Amino acid sequence: VRGRYTVRTATLCGVEAVPVDVEVDVGPGIPSFAIVGLPDLAVQEARERVRSAIRASGYEVPNARIVVNLAPGPLRKHGTGFDLPIAIGLLVATGQLPAAAFESVLAVGELSLLGRLRAVPGLIAYGLTALRTGMPLLAPSSSSLTMLPDLKVLPLELLSELKAGLPSPAQRREPAPAVTDRRLDFSDVCGQEMTIRALSIAAAGGHNVLLVGPPGGGKTMLARRLATILPPLTEEERVEAALVHSVSGLPEDDILRGVRPFRAPHHSASIAGLVGGGSPVRPGEVSLAHQGVLFLDEMPEFGPASLQCLRQPMEDHRVTLVRADGRLNFPARFTLVGAANPCPCGHLGDRNKACTCAPGVVDRYQARIGGPLMDRIDVVVRVERPDASKITSCEGGPTSNSLHASVCEARERSLRRSSTGENPSGSALLGQCDLSDKARGFLEASANRHHLSGRGITRVLRVARTIADLDQEGRVHEGHLAEALSYRQAGVT
Amino acid sequence: VKDLRFEIELGQPDYPTQLSESPNPPAVLYGIGNPSALEPALGVIGARRATPYGISAAEQFAGWAAAAGYVVVSGGAIGCDQAAHKAALAANGRTVAVLAGGADVPYPRGSHALLEQITVDGAVVSEHPWGTEPRRWAFRTRNRIIAALSGMLLVVEAALPSGTFSTADYAIDANRSVGVVPGSIFGHECRGSNRLLCQGAYPICDISDLRGHLEQAIGPLARQADEPNLINPPSDDKVLTALRSMPMRPDDIAFRLSMDIVEVARRVSALEVAGLVVRHRDGRYGSVAPGC
Repeated sequence: VRGRYTVRTATLCGVEAVPVDVEVDVGPGIPSFAIVGLPDLAVQEARERVRSAIRASGYEVPNARIVVNLAPGPLRKHGTGFDLPIAIGLLVATGQLPAAAFESVLAVGELSLLGRLRAVPGLIAYGLTALRTGMPLLAPSSSSLTMLPDLKVLPLELLSELKAGLPSPAQRREPAPAVTDRRLDFSDVCGQEMTIRALSIAAAGGHNVLLVGPPGGGKTMLARRLATILPPLTEEERVEAALVHSVSGLPEDDILRGVRPFRAPHHSASIAGLVGGGSPVRPGEVSLAHQGVLFLDEMPEFGPASLQCLRQPMEDHRVTLVRADGRLNFPARFTLVGAANPCPCGHLGDRNKACTCAPGVVDRYQARIGGPLMDRIDVVVRVERPDASKITSCEGGPTSNSLHASVCEARERSLRRSSTGENPSGSALLGQCDLSDKARGFLEASANRHHLSGRGITRVLRVARTIADLDQEGRVHEGHLAEALSYRQAGVT
Repeated sequence: VKDLRFEIELGQPDYPTQLSESPNPPAVLYGIGNPSALEPALGVIGARRATPYGISAAEQFAGWAAAAGYVVVSGGAIGCDQAAHKAALAANGRTVAVLAGGADVPYPRGSHALLEQITVDGAVVSEHPWGTEPRRWAFRTRNRIIAALSGMLLVVEAALPSGTFSTADYAIDANRSVGVVPGSIFGHECRGSNRLLCQGAYPICDISDLRGHLEQAIGPLARQADEPNLINPPSDDKVLTALRSMPMRPDDIAFRLSMDIVEVARRVSALEVAGLVVRHRDGRYGSVAPGC
């Protein structure tokens, strides 16, 4: 038996599926089955799965020398997605399948020993590569793949189905409208008007927030409800966010329906877990929170090194990791929501319990988050513990639905103003704020009073602009500026 | 800095008289700066975890006393103590810091620059030999020196319990008059000072109160100094008026005045920009003395 055939596939490199050619050569010699081209252990094991799957599907494995080469050679190949292309290559090379059918198809999928296809992580990344190279994607059937616009998916369940030719393309499914989690709602919250206001501002303007307050004040509860008022993802944002989840092997259906991701890593998270790392390199929490919310509960308890790692992604909206394999970029445009106790004992400013911390200790605790990171947090708000009487006679605040509506309206206003969606700065920002002389005077007075730096003034203006949007006002008034100033971190400007 | 150091043993002629006559005077007084500043002084003490109320009171009274030629003695701690030292320096007056460690060991951390400034005209003193690190117990014994060096002691703000009480006790033992700035009856911060008032300390509500007691306890003022007006002018602003009665959080103000919380937050923030209120580190806002 002699023959050779090349099947197109791809391997994951960060959030990208890099095209790989699977060259299968069947020739005379001592019977063997070798895979070359920097395969990792999972790729090596494809030999056994492919052999069994081919037999179980009613084909034959030739008793010959089989060499599989994965090109380009220097690129490391990971994962079990090579099973299907290797099997197809072998079957075409031995004349058991027609060559013409697979000339321009991107094939990926893991095989079971019985010849059934299994999903692999990163199907969306493979789908995007197939789109880019203009080929249909032959892959295990997946609901999220069919939501990618313009992609031709050929869903395959059994290897034996190929006897009848390529499967017919799957119908594109319109993503169902976003369903928010109805178990959480802001109307469950008693009081806390100021925090809810701050979270609405954060949701409308994408500002980073820090909630400071005594334990039991409801910081975590409030932060989790932020997810219910975020504006829905746009088409483009959905794919970006779903891609990260897909390559991490996490479900992406909700994101494709428009629900923004909400990630809440524990404070013991490692740097690799937060910003990405490992081998092969996987996206970290900041990238899983892409286009969504990264919630850091007990923020001062995170390692200082981990926290400082957040600075670059917060500035650049992406993470660049440099490893021996090369340089990888992960998207990381997220809204940071932090929660912190005001001091180690937690009771500074608590009406019911006196703080037992020495003044110096409080300063050191608050400094743990670090000036440069605090500089990127626009909104700091105190979350007070409500009185027991308020809890028992709770009337309930605004519902998530009404807040969500005003957030969406505010965001539309800001998008109408500047189509780029980028945070403006400098003269562009001043122009958008359209300050009256009185407001301008107030801004100057506040800059003097609080010793605001240029960056500090920009931050106040941005928040004030968002507040004005929430109030459905075209101009930024003194009241908006004053409110924005009240969300300033004490001492840090 | 070495040439500014001095050591005075008990019994030497330049040992401060008011200290040698007090119960349990230190055997040796180690100091840096100007030993002539160790004359009967106004002691100004208060909480480390001070509110703007205590800080303002310390500033106003210490500033005026220093301008009038009285030495201001305190403990160099953050909060009220440092406010008193700084106000005295700002009024070009003399001030003395009594430390719980060696006089050459700056404490608390970060007060290095302030202590150095104090030594220019005033002095930093201690009963502990050079290089001694401050110990917990030493703060209480240090307080007796503050009390003894003072002709009169002024407590600007003290919670309950408080180290300030020990200083007041030492002052009474040493037969010094004790004045107290009354505070709000609603907060923790002034419970100690109000308790001292109940126990018979003199209430000090304005500069002329302080002046009368100082002239009696120490002697006439060396020079005339402008007496600052401590009373804020009346205001139509109900948020400002409420904050002048006691420090409150925005949600408390909103509740008490039946106002919208966002409106209160904006109002308070505008008052802050105008310099009429300041934010406490615990999140409350409080009014400050006029001209601060």
